Amino acid sequence: MSDVTAAVRRTAAPRWSLVSALVLCVVGLGISIYLAIEHATAGTSLACPATGRIDCVKVTTSSYSEIFGIPVAYLGVAYFVVATALAFLALSSTAGSLALARVVVAVAGILFVLYLVWAELFRIHAICLWCTGVHVVTFLVFAVTVLGEALRDPDAVD
Amino acid sequence: MANSRQQQLSTKAQRRAAQRSEEMRKQQAAARRRTRLLVAGGVILVIVVVVGVLVAVGLNSSSSKSPSSTAASTDVISSVTGVPQSTFDKIGAGDIKARPSTISSTPLTQNGKPRVLYAGAEYCPYCAAERWAMVAALSRFGTFKDLGQTQSSGTDVYPNTATLSFHGASYTSKYLAFTGLELQDTNGKTLDTPSPADGKLISKYDAQQYTGAQSGGIPFVLMGGKFVISGASYDPAVLKGLSHQQIAQQLSDPSSDVAKAVLGTANVITSDLCQLTKNQPAKVCSSPGVVAAK
Repeated sequence: MSDVTAAVRRTAAPRWSLVSALVLCVVGLGISIYLAIEHATAGTSLACPATGRIDCVKVTTSSYSEIFGIPVAYLGVAYFVVATALAFLALSSTAGSLALARVVVAVAGILFVLYLVWAELFRIHAICLWCTGVHVVTFLVFAVTVLGEALRDPDAVD
Repeated sequence: MANSRQQQLSTKAQRRAAQRSEEMRKQQAAARRRTRLLVAGGVILVIVVVVGVLVAVGLNSSSSKSPSSTAASTDVISSVTGVPQSTFDKIGAGDIKARPSTISSTPLTQNGKPRVLYAGAEYCPYCAAERWAMVAALSRFGTFKDLGQTQSSGTDVYPNTATLSFHGASYTSKYLAFTGLELQDTNGKTLDTPSPADGKLISKYDAQQYTGAQSGGIPFVLMGGKFVISGASYDPAVLKGLSHQQIAQQLSDPSSDVAKAVLGTANVITSDLCQLTKNQPAKVCSSPGVVAAK
């Protein structure tokens, strides 16, 4: 009997990508919660910001701030709750289905971000810095997730 | 013995074959990993490029089809600057929603006269509303020249609100000095740049601790270092859908919502300005409308 047996290894995406994704998701969740609170308590200020293009209130109260009647801010919170949960689970599980779910969620997030950036620049004509923060975090979550999964050992068996 | 030798050789060959197989497997795994990395990196790069293009094109595109500022029509100017005293008196404080805030500060003067500093922008719908009241009020103390007329941004709340513009205008009065700064036009392009001194005043007093409203908001008005306005004093919705001429016409009807909002605010602003000018001109400052608006 050969003493060189096929190794059955449990491997995951690199630890740095899992931890980074979790940290980024928590940051994104925090900003999303802030935006959701701002949306829910929409200010009645009768003033414009003096900066013109940078106008969070204009963006978060525009017609593009809701999808099928659901505030985008709330969708953002939901997205990051799911992403955070998946990132946390990935620290202790190498299940392929979990990895697939993380990638799908990350892709969905980045596609939605592209839509929101288009809406800000070409329809609302204003930029919300807080929203941009969420967009950047979503992109970084996508980047570390896909890079991390790309570095996963393909022969890993659960 | 021969069998034992053969068995040893066979085991070594098996080990070498297994090692070669393992090395080949590792090389294939490394190749697949490199391919996946290239794909992932490529996708990330494409997203960065797409966003970069969106930002570059979006920031350079025009944000509004609203016309730029033009000279205000004489009919409109006559109506807003020549509102009869009796009309003001019938309205009092009218439908003002937010009164100016009182602050304690170094008196703001120019050439010995109390100075009024306004900072706004032509795209801003709240500035659009406030200017009607400011022109009506300040016209009771002096004379405007070269007022412009424009509309607020077409993509903001209260889109395309008809309004006047202080860009390029001048004001003369023996009671007050006035500086009207329109920081940006309807499309967000820079118009007036505050002097360093005015910039410091705006930065300091356009703050929540003074105005009670969001810091950095416009319209911002600093009156004599004693009163500040941040935001519109009345609901810009009363001007919705009205042209400059229609707004000007409704100012002469004290029962109209436009008159109640605009002239009510003008009376309140006038009462504050009268405190700065020591109740001069007396005819204005002691009028029933101004007294009622205190």
